[in-house]
Amino acid sequence: MIALAGRIGRWTLNALAAGARVSVLMVDTVFWLVVAPIRGKGLRTRSAVESFVEFGVRSLPIVGMICFLVGVILALQSSYTLEKWGANRFIATLVAVSALREMAPLMTAILITGRCGSAITAEIATMKVSEEVDALEVMGLNPVKYLVAPKFLAMALAVPCVTVIAMFIMVLGGFLASVVVVGVPASIYIDETIRALVEKDLVIGLTKSAFFGIAICWVGVYRGFQVEGGAEGVGRQTTSSVVTSIFLIIIIDLIFTVLFYFL
Amino acid sequence: MNDLTDPIIVVEDLVAKYGDRTVLDGVSFTVRRGEIFVILGGSGSGKTTVLRNLVGLMRPVSGRILINGEDFTSMSEQERIELRKKMGMSFQESALLTSISVGDNVALPVREHTKLEASTIDIMTKIKLELVGLGGFENYLPSELSGGMKKRAGIARAMAMDPEIIFYDEPSAGLDPIVAAGIDALIRKMRETFSLTSVVVTHAMESVRLIADTVCMLDGGRVIAIGTLDEIEGSDHPYVQQFLARRPDAEEGGDSSYARSLTGVD
Repeated sequence: MIALAGRIGRWTLNALAAGARVSVLMVDTVFWLVVAPIRGKGLRTRSAVESFVEFGVRSLPIVGMICFLVGVILALQSSYTLEKWGANRFIATLVAVSALREMAPLMTAILITGRCGSAITAEIATMKVSEEVDALEVMGLNPVKYLVAPKFLAMALAVPCVTVIAMFIMVLGGFLASVVVVGVPASIYIDETIRALVEKDLVIGLTKSAFFGIAICWVGVYRGFQVEGGAEGVGRQTTSSVVTSIFLIIIIDLIFTVLFYFL
Repeated sequence: MNDLTDPIIVVEDLVAKYGDRTVLDGVSFTVRRGEIFVILGGSGSGKTTVLRNLVGLMRPVSGRILINGEDFTSMSEQERIELRKKMGMSFQESALLTSISVGDNVALPVREHTKLEASTIDIMTKIKLELVGLGGFENYLPSELSGGMKKRAGIARAMAMDPEIIFYDEPSAGLDPIVAAGIDALIRKMRETFSLTSVVVTHAMESVRLIADTVCMLDGGRVIAIGTLDEIEGSDHPYVQQFLARRPDAEEGGDSSYARSLTGVD
């Protein structure tokens, strides 16, 4: 009983300490991203652009391919039920709405976590282990300004940008599967898609994906700075970064879904 | 004991802990301007912790560090950044940023801290690399350099802002004797050319003999001997003698000193 209380207490303290560290990191990032550039201390724009290319542009092939296939799967799975009612034309509605509101933002975020969240953690953890982070600090260069702020900006922009393209490709995948495999006439599919979609779907999808991007970057950075030990520690942090990110992404998704359900 | 005129670094009663473990237990010493001050000690003696406190990577639990008469320990982060511009540090594994070229590494602090023109910074970078014997290597990536060259590049980066004090963490660790001797010679050259104050953390006696003006020997988080090399070698402290004679610790079993340490009877 006492052991249990002790464990709960220790768990709470650890969670609070982690929360405090994350908050410090958040405040620092926002400072170097918003306040410092206003005060003329500059933002490392070039590094942000390089990160954007890495997180965004280079993620496009894999995200595009996966989202195309998910679009095909969505269409065929929907047809399984809708066919019984002779309602195959509504595949378009189902694919369009689930792609924009849910599947495209989610798949993009998870793929970018695997591709880039892990890379952010590995990079920062390795730099910490090899004393590069210490070297920055000794040179009077703030590691958050130098390493975190550009990545954060890049990630918060890249994830929504890739998501928009992913949405389009997923709908295209659904369209091709419906027309070629299920046999829905192309014109009907296009009409139904246009009728199904409203502006709000896009807004919901993109808002979510911006938050996904923020979560991926913060978790990646936080886990990276937490590293202890050598190569083994880097590996452990990278794994835990991916797991934490995906968990957070699902939680954020749930919160937004509930929120928009009642709105 | 060392002459205390014109001190540049004064460390007073420094106590540092990692969690509950006390790593430094009241360390005090004074570094004179322009000397090569060697902090000597075995693994776990706390010498690296002293260095981390001196450059501000750690804040001590208690005690003070005065640099140029200013209290480094109680400064705000902003004031520390200002003071750090006058310090350079060469890291054990050189800690060059691996994603940018050697030249960019050296230029980085200058680019971030000054408003000098790019062409001026380029020339400065070339001069610093020339100084450490790496002229012409500015476009190489750190991964393309050997261990000794990386260490030299790290020293060039530490020198980038023309510091008053330079800190070396284990400058000869992991290098072959010839390259290590080259680094020792470079440390001396830096001091002679720029009358730079150098603080060197090491456990390598060979390089201590070549470079040290003052030696401060640490064991178990305390200063056990301080003075010139001759004074240290003349010390009758058992750990100092054991360290200098490169004698291993007493083996378990059979040895009477081990039995004494168990029973607590001398």
